[in-house]
Amino acid sequence: MTEWDGFSADAHRYLDGEPFEELSGTELAAADRLAAEVRDYAARLAPVDPALDERVMTAVRRRAPARRRSGLAWLMAPRTVKLRPVWVPVLAAAAALVVWLAPRGNGGSPVPVAAAPARASADTVFVRFELEAPQARSVSVAGSFNGWQVGALTMVRDARGVWSATAPLPVGEHRYEFVIDGTRWVPDPTAHAEVDDGFGGRNSVIVVGPKGLVRS
Amino acid sequence: MNRLRRSAIAAGLLLVPAVLAAQGAGIEGRLQTRGLPASLAHRVAVVATAAAARGVPDGPLADKAIEGWAKQVPPDRIVVAVQHFADQMASARTAVIDAGIESPPGPVIAAAAEAMRSGMRADQVRSVVQAAGEGAVAAPGLSVAAALSAQGLGSDQATKIVVGAMHSHRSMADLLDLPSVARVMHDQGMSPGDIEHRMMNGDGDGDQGSGRSGDRGDRPSSVPPGTHDHDGHSHDR
Repeated sequence: MTEWDGFSADAHRYLDGEPFEELSGTELAAADRLAAEVRDYAARLAPVDPALDERVMTAVRRRAPARRRSGLAWLMAPRTVKLRPVWVPVLAAAAALVVWLAPRGNGGSPVPVAAAPARASADTVFVRFELEAPQARSVSVAGSFNGWQVGALTMVRDARGVWSATAPLPVGEHRYEFVIDGTRWVPDPTAHAEVDDGFGGRNSVIVVGPKGLVRS
Repeated sequence: MNRLRRSAIAAGLLLVPAVLAAQGAGIEGRLQTRGLPASLAHRVAVVATAAAARGVPDGPLADKAIEGWAKQVPPDRIVVAVQHFADQMASARTAVIDAGIESPPGPVIAAAAEAMRSGMRADQVRSVVQAAGEGAVAAPGLSVAAALSAQGLGSDQATKIVVGAMHSHRSMADLLDLPSVARVMHDQGMSPGDIEHRMMNGDGDGDQGSGRSGDRGDRPSSVPPGTHDHDGHSHDR
């Protein structure tokens, strides 16, 4: 028997009308006595109005819903939202637009800083890159205008072994290098200038104006 | 009306997480997207965050890290280069502020830093920025001065040419054309002193000696789309 209720588990099962294994005579008598007291107590309670349930539910339904709950509680409360399927692509597009427009801090901008002058003038100029490399198996141009992605601007070889590619570049300053065979980075001998790249190498520099890029 | 309200609720529920996700996507995520390992991206982000607290734009720092990774530079050297670039931009920012721009935009700071990396001094950066008068012109002006300096003209000459072009109200197109003109003059055998002299005398407006006209023999390897040369002919390549 447990200390707090004075009845064993079997006595509880007996009182609940469930199968039990064994009860002593004393326990059985105590349980019967308790059950009789409960029945007697219940008999003395005032009878419940059969219409009580309906009255309570009517009052609940009549009560206005709380209009000013906290925003968090409103968000956390489960609710059913009915939505026409046609709205799904519209909302997805709106979400994509927000992601695109959302601030990315100082550095979130995908536009290289070197291309800042390009924002001042929206012009784009087609620039032709050339490199003589007869022994190369592949050549590409990687620079600030394409996120330094090797292979983003691949060049085509002619019969003389001169590789070339033309790309639209925003007006402004750009830094780049040729990538030979995917691994060897070499500056452009015809670029306006070369500058230290900060890693022990040299970057080629071109400044593209609205009039076009002039090379000898 | 109910349907409209439900739609608005649904849109709000969709947009709120999207906005939060976009704001949370920082420099670290951008670097990892470009293939940098998480540890390197984190180290660069720490440098960039500290730089941003000093008013230095973090975008160019991310670009520098991406460039280093593309060139297969070891991570430790990438972090050192990024830190060095951050310090250069901090110095450049001071020079631009001293020129009278209280809150310099990121592109101007980056252009000033690149100019100083090319050999220009802080006082020369100040001269260009003061002559520009506004950030939209200052950044390309600094880039042109840096390019001229890197072409061998010397930073003093490069600064004089750019400041002179700004004071004589040359167009942005003429300003950006200066490195091309200098390159052609150089390839024609002129010395840096001659190039400076001719440019200071107004020969650097892109119409003389630049090889733009087909009848002068030199042909541009690029042209603005849809533009024509002075003879009214389309540039061909």
